[in-house]
Amino acid sequence: MSFIRRNLAGWLVMLPGLVLLVFFVWLPLLSNVSLSFYQLQGYTKQSFVGLDNYAQVLRDPQFQRAFLNTGLYVFWSIVVGFPVPIALALLLSEVIHLRTFFRTSLYLPNVVPGLAAALLWKFLYDPDPGGMLNGLLGAVGLPPQPWLSSPTWVIPLIVVALTWKAAGATTLIYLATIQSIDATYYEAARMDGTNVWQRVRYITLPSLAPTVRMLLVLQIISVFQVLYEPLVMTGGGPNNASLSLLQLIYRYVFVRGDVASGAALGVIVAVALLVLTACYWWATKRAGHHG
Amino acid sequence: MDHVHDVELSARPLGIGVWGLLMRSRILAIGIMALVLALVLAGCGQEPTKIRVTVGMWPEPYLREDVAMFEEWKRLFEADYPQYEIVGVPYTYSPDTFFPMAQSGQTPTVFQTWFTEPQKLIDNGFVRDITAQLQQLGWYDKMDPVMREMLSRDGKVYGVPRDGYGLGLLINLQIFEEVGLVDDWNGDGILDIHGPDGSPRYPTTFQELAETARYISETMRDQFEREVAGLIILSANNTGGWQFSNIAWNFGARLQVQDADGRWVANLNAPEAVEALEWIKELRWEAGALPASTSLTYSDWYSYIGTGRAAMAFVGSDAIALPVTNFGMDRDLLAFVPMPAGPRGHRYALFGGTPFMFAANATDEQVMGALRFLEYMGRSPETSPVALSSLRRGMKTAIDKGMPILPEIRPWVNEEYRAAAREIEAQYANVYMPNFQDFYDLLPVMRRPEEPHYTQEMYEILDAVIQQVLADPNANPAALLTSANNTFQTHYLSKLR
Repeated sequence: MSFIRRNLAGWLVMLPGLVLLVFFVWLPLLSNVSLSFYQLQGYTKQSFVGLDNYAQVLRDPQFQRAFLNTGLYVFWSIVVGFPVPIALALLLSEVIHLRTFFRTSLYLPNVVPGLAAALLWKFLYDPDPGGMLNGLLGAVGLPPQPWLSSPTWVIPLIVVALTWKAAGATTLIYLATIQSIDATYYEAARMDGTNVWQRVRYITLPSLAPTVRMLLVLQIISVFQVLYEPLVMTGGGPNNASLSLLQLIYRYVFVRGDVASGAALGVIVAVALLVLTACYWWATKRAGHHG
Repeated sequence: MDHVHDVELSARPLGIGVWGLLMRSRILAIGIMALVLALVLAGCGQEPTKIRVTVGMWPEPYLREDVAMFEEWKRLFEADYPQYEIVGVPYTYSPDTFFPMAQSGQTPTVFQTWFTEPQKLIDNGFVRDITAQLQQLGWYDKMDPVMREMLSRDGKVYGVPRDGYGLGLLINLQIFEEVGLVDDWNGDGILDIHGPDGSPRYPTTFQELAETARYISETMRDQFEREVAGLIILSANNTGGWQFSNIAWNFGARLQVQDADGRWVANLNAPEAVEALEWIKELRWEAGALPASTSLTYSDWYSYIGTGRAAMAFVGSDAIALPVTNFGMDRDLLAFVPMPAGPRGHRYALFGGTPFMFAANATDEQVMGALRFLEYMGRSPETSPVALSSLRRGMKTAIDKGMPILPEIRPWVNEEYRAAAREIEAQYANVYMPNFQDFYDLLPVMRRPEEPHYTQEMYEILDAVIQQVLADPNANPAALLTSANNTFQTHYLSKLR
């Protein structure tokens, strides 16, 4: 306990935060893990059943579907969503006039409450001929599209909506990184007579790499937990084509009243995320040696 | 307490050591304990202990007329039963708030939930058995037996039905008139769903329903260049399966059947059910009479009907007012008719109700008080003056809010109550009854309760099937239902003891 005494003031300052963290994060987390091993009535433990809840979740065809879908969400978010903020940040860093205006405009969608954004996109994607996008298509003589009613396109379309909402904040992080690059590199490069593309290719992008790696992991972790967009925009449909893992937890607990399965699936998702993160650290560590 | 003897002379920020801090906090703790104890003791014996009944159906504060009405009921009740105290807690049921609330024992003594929830709440031990209290009051035998069954488990009753509903076909008369299906034949200013000869101008079979829906969508497209769905079929949040089970029944299917040993087996892919799904598929892809969305829920139909984007919808009779209250639709432009008959003459209306339920931790006296308060709300089989005046008061408040007043499907079967309710309804009804009467006339012979086991899970599985049929013109109904049937049998019905 002497380490506490040595830094008593520091601990005292941290105490409220620590108490809240333990109460609102760690205790629920641990109690969720423990609930997942019991047969429950409501949230009340009835009997210890070991891994039965896990076995039941893994056998559920909806779980297999949701697991695959969540992988698709992550895949599409890397293909569609990941390059967008990098490109935007590069463009912004080269913009001279109206930079503040562009920065603000890009950040605005982030200010829109998540549910409102999801409803807004649902409205845009209305599959009826009078829907917003279909109306625009109709104006140029194209047939109406099913949008979110297409099992094939539903996930990429939701990812577009996710990207619209989140790209602005990420862009600002990239932009800050770009602007902190030592200007002497660019001056030296100009002396050597390089053009814009070469500067981006040999100076900006390598300097961005650590940020890119970090944000890639953060994005995977956050997209892995996609919940309310499919909940609001599609209900997980059509035919569970957009059902995500977190939405399935919601279904277990709140729709079916099956808390034990929800707790087990929560642990499965957490373990999957831990594995992903561990893989990443392992990969970046190896990569970092010749960085 | 080893660390107390740790004589490491480190800096002492704030001039106090750990021991001093401990001592202080200990004194502080004792002080707080004493204070709390004193407050508790002061609280005791101050007022005579009343039995507190919390009522979750209390209206939100902004609904002033409704709050005034409830306050009046509370005043009357507490005057007659001075041992009770009624506390209003406006609680709108929602599964994500209810579970934590119930777990921490904070549920109101009596609350209103959805017709989908009773069995789930009973499973999770969140509600209590009230059979003894119902029998003591003589209400048990007056309760509609079908509704009592829905609120029961193993012969014990867990709730009181507020009212019942049957599924029927809601019609937007304005669209029917635009395409020339109905007119104001008798010249009283209201469109008539029956022709001059008294014959129904609405579809009475599923074949007619498909033809009518197709005719409306095509006529609207060709003559008015408007996109109007002839019919709206829901497909998400379990509403798809819920409506589909009624459609399948009318084609002659039963979705759950008992085998020779009395075990329940899934029957989702019965030929009649496949036929019902084919009917939906044709309506969507060949007739072009359904909306394109594959995720319509119960909150969507009334915007479609209320804004003239759909001509017909399958709706519970307790929700007819929604296009009026939410979209300002003229109530005389609505007609509500019985579910059509299937190709072999089957004609059923899915029947359910909205229940009041009681907190698991409520005492016998609290339950008794809550039940007696229902009488003061006009929601019991009693016909005392106070009960009848509450019925009237409820009607009047609804009329003042501009709601359409329709006959309610009453959950109590004792004749004196039924007669009194009928009389009051006749007094206050403000819709043109001929456009609604057929439904009420046929409901007693058409009504059928939902399939018995894992009903919501079955609906969820059927939702996915219906979405696929609405999304994919090449969907194979038989294959989809067979796969759904296997899932339902393996993961749910086989678990039944």
